[in-house]
Amino acid sequence: MTAAPVIAAGAPPLLAVESIDVTLGRGWRANQVLSGVDLGIWPGEVVGLVGETGSGKTTLARTVVGLVDPTRGRILFEGQPISALRRRARRAERRRGHVQLVFQDPLRSLDPDLTVAEIVAEGLRIRGEADGEEIRRRVTGALDQVGLDATVLERTPGQVSGGQRQRVSIARALAVEPRLLICDEPVSALDASSRNHVLRLLRELRDSLGLPIVIISHDLSSLAGIADRVVVLYRGRIVEDGPADRVFATPRHPYTALLMVSAPSVQDDRPFAPRQLRRAGPGPVPHAGPGACVFAARCPFAADVCAAQPALTAVGERWSAACHRHQEWGYLAQSANPRQEGPAHAR
Amino acid sequence: MAIDNRSPWPDLVPAEDTAAHEVLRLDDLHVSVHDGAATAVRGVTLRVRAGEIVGLVGESGSGKTLTCRAALGVLPAGCAVERGSVSFAGTDVTALPRRGWERLHGSHMGAVFQDPASYLNPVLTVGYQLAEVLRVKLGLGRRAAHRRALELFEAVGLRQAERVFHQIPAELSGGMLQRVMIAIAISCDPQLLVADEPTTALDVTIQAEVLELLRQLRHERGLAVVFVSHDLAVITQLCDRIVVFYAGEIVESGPAEQITQRPRHPYTQALLRVASVGDFRRRELEVIAGQPPRVGADITGCRFAARCPVAVPECQVRPVRSVPVGDQHEVRCVHASRAVVAS
Amino acid sequence: MSGRRRPPGRTGRNGAGSVLRLPSAKIAVGILAVVAILAAFGSALAPQNPLAINANALFQGPSAHHLLGTDYLGRDVLSRLMAGTRLSVLTALEAVGIGLVLGAIPGVATVFMGRGFDFTVNRISDALMTFPYIFFAVAVTAALGNGLEQAMIPVGILLAPAFFRVTRAATLEHARAQYVEAAELLGASKLHIIRVHVLRKVLPNIVVTTASLTAAALLAVSFLTFLGIGVQPPTPTWGGILSSDLDYLSQAPWAPFIPGAVIAVTVGALNALADAFRDRSTSGTLVPADPIIHFDPSVERADGDRQSQSVA
Repeated sequence: MTAAPVIAAGAPPLLAVESIDVTLGRGWRANQVLSGVDLGIWPGEVVGLVGETGSGKTTLARTVVGLVDPTRGRILFEGQPISALRRRARRAERRRGHVQLVFQDPLRSLDPDLTVAEIVAEGLRIRGEADGEEIRRRVTGALDQVGLDATVLERTPGQVSGGQRQRVSIARALAVEPRLLICDEPVSALDASSRNHVLRLLRELRDSLGLPIVIISHDLSSLAGIADRVVVLYRGRIVEDGPADRVFATPRHPYTALLMVSAPSVQDDRPFAPRQLRRAGPGPVPHAGPGACVFAARCPFAADVCAAQPALTAVGERWSAACHRHQEWGYLAQSANPRQEGPAHAR
Repeated sequence: MAIDNRSPWPDLVPAEDTAAHEVLRLDDLHVSVHDGAATAVRGVTLRVRAGEIVGLVGESGSGKTLTCRAALGVLPAGCAVERGSVSFAGTDVTALPRRGWERLHGSHMGAVFQDPASYLNPVLTVGYQLAEVLRVKLGLGRRAAHRRALELFEAVGLRQAERVFHQIPAELSGGMLQRVMIAIAISCDPQLLVADEPTTALDVTIQAEVLELLRQLRHERGLAVVFVSHDLAVITQLCDRIVVFYAGEIVESGPAEQITQRPRHPYTQALLRVASVGDFRRRELEVIAGQPPRVGADITGCRFAARCPVAVPECQVRPVRSVPVGDQHEVRCVHASRAVVAS
Repeated sequence: MSGRRRPPGRTGRNGAGSVLRLPSAKIAVGILAVVAILAAFGSALAPQNPLAINANALFQGPSAHHLLGTDYLGRDVLSRLMAGTRLSVLTALEAVGIGLVLGAIPGVATVFMGRGFDFTVNRISDALMTFPYIFFAVAVTAALGNGLEQAMIPVGILLAPAFFRVTRAATLEHARAQYVEAAELLGASKLHIIRVHVLRKVLPNIVVTTASLTAAALLAVSFLTFLGIGVQPPTPTWGGILSSDLDYLSQAPWAPFIPGAVIAVTVGALNALADAFRDRSTSGTLVPADPIIHFDPSVERADGDRQSQSVA
């Protein structure tokens, strides 16, 4: 991370998410997907937003861009509230292109009947401010930024490969010169080499444009090498938020640690085995009543104090975790269950 | 049988290579696609012994999935075995008719694929679907099948088996559905389980649990597993032996430890560099330059030469043969055969 | 692998050109082309004067002079059919046109215009579907006078709900697509979305519905003229000819089959064309191919992608 930004203390974030709750569905199907989420994104940083299926990470992205409305709380961009905008004002705000979202599945998010040129140009056409020549220039510029050349211009999404489709999706977002880019699982559907190609591309965009990027992923390890900061979501709440280096070295929340050791690895140098970070077996969960820590039901270190949902507390510089026992669970894990498992071939 | 004491589970490591222990054997398998227009799998020779977990790794289009489908007898329309043979437990099954395969499927070989939801009937409960397999294949009565289904659900780690029994696929998560598929696949006690990218679409924590489950099943039942994935990290986590596919050929195969610590093929080495996804300290995002050739492309000599950092003119002169370079470790590379000859 | 699989050998995007490859479609188009020419120039092409009465040649069978024989007034049947094509076909098209405009436009609009509007229009459509068109047509004719053009207006109105439902269903399918969300994020207005993303995908459904409802309208015309509504003799119409032939069934038992066959064949051709369009049109959505049925390894892209069903 050669261009990791240095953020002055107290500098206001570019994007601020203030205590939002999001409920999806109505009536008996209503499901509170996000609870009390507070998040800030500063210019020039790459933030990895991690969570399992159902953690609410995609919903958070959709709420930030206004596809979903929060039931509580608000979202501000450069200090201006954007979550309460409606209709014309919202469209006008979107046309300014401040925040762009790259969807998870380019097969679904690219219109199969349009050519790549038309897709990438759409944002500019909607703005209506540029003429044909200018639009063409900026489309080829955006494609160039993502490493695609002019040969794909007249092709439809079905006629290019999966990796290229992903890039077209990114190019569409870049064409409107956003100030913040959110990528929803940009590499989940790609194999290892293509994955790194795309991650490299995102890193270059940050380096060359200073563009802050939020990368949503379900796999923490895919963010190593690119994220400056990681934010871990579990069941609609942020459980850890801190600098990537330090979180990877010593995760402060047991769920973060579980995510890390679950990722398959060629090397075998984990401090813990997954078994040490899981509850021993089925049975009654004493601390998991309503209002309890959202992770208590899965946590092997849950104690009486965990019957109350912990708030995000500072555990280091610009680093917070939502765990009552963040200082002791590491020792507990080591002492109770010394490391006993290895991959198929121990070293 | 040698006992491996390094891990807490004394896994049974298969000993000598005797035909009786061999569950699956592919000999010089060639598979063509598009009604013979192109050859997608060339000269694949593979052996899987009882209780062994073999990992097939390679990029999309490398032929690993087609190889599995040939081994299972479920090649898609337009694809056929052109040359070579498939043997199951010592019997040649290459030209087996439909009926023969039906007898093998379930009772001798089971399969798990990537998207479990599309292999299950969405309107029937998963318990019913598993019990149906038991009734049809094993001739169990309703109550016996129900009991056995619950046992199987517990064996694959589905807690509250009775409750899961009565749920339809839409009510279960991806990880649970995959466990259901595994339960169905092992329900009739097969000797071989073929798993084609079963954890690719699962969250990483669930993936870890499913991999552990597979190892446990191998340990408990002596099940031979063929595990296909594009992710070398997952393969090394799970498998005893690794087989590396590139452009329809096997370029390297051997014990997992050898492959990860002493890879001899440039492609394997590149895969290892790229696949260090589990390494949280890395800084570099490695890539492999270039693209694999089109499926069935006609190439003289080594099929990796165009992307190979150590290619020499000799590589593209004639087809490269696979040579042994260690204990059960084979490599298809000009440099390897030279080294062997030299020594 | 990507895209819905087509069997190898079929190239080109779906559209009018690919429809014509089916033999049934070719025949249907041929028949309809003849009908269209007759509708345009029927009277001019007719070998005899359709109105010429010849008392000496009543109920004659097919002959060199009268290819399909003569009717109860000695008029050449073939010429009457050819001349009658125009009125039948044009009024059927008029009804379909009315139905299309009144049905398809709200069909697209209700998806984008809010819940209240959607509810209201749906209820209107439901109500219209309960009307029996014959009574409605009779009532309108009684009110507005005895013209076939007027009689087809209520038929058109009653065809609108079918257009409405089909268009609305098709629009719904596409209005929630992710690429529409992506366009919304770029600040697109509803009109832009309809114009750029929805219209061309909904068109195939509209075409199919138009073809099959033209058949329905043609039947309606035939029925109305059969009942004598909207036309005065001696104006020839297919239904009218059929009706008068049935009056004289004892003298010429073969006669009603001729106009009946003409109606049936034309309606059948329209339905066959509708079927051909339906079979050929895909919604254009790219669906990840099912690995068992549609696995096509040779088309797998070479730069390393795999299907992932992971859902956030």
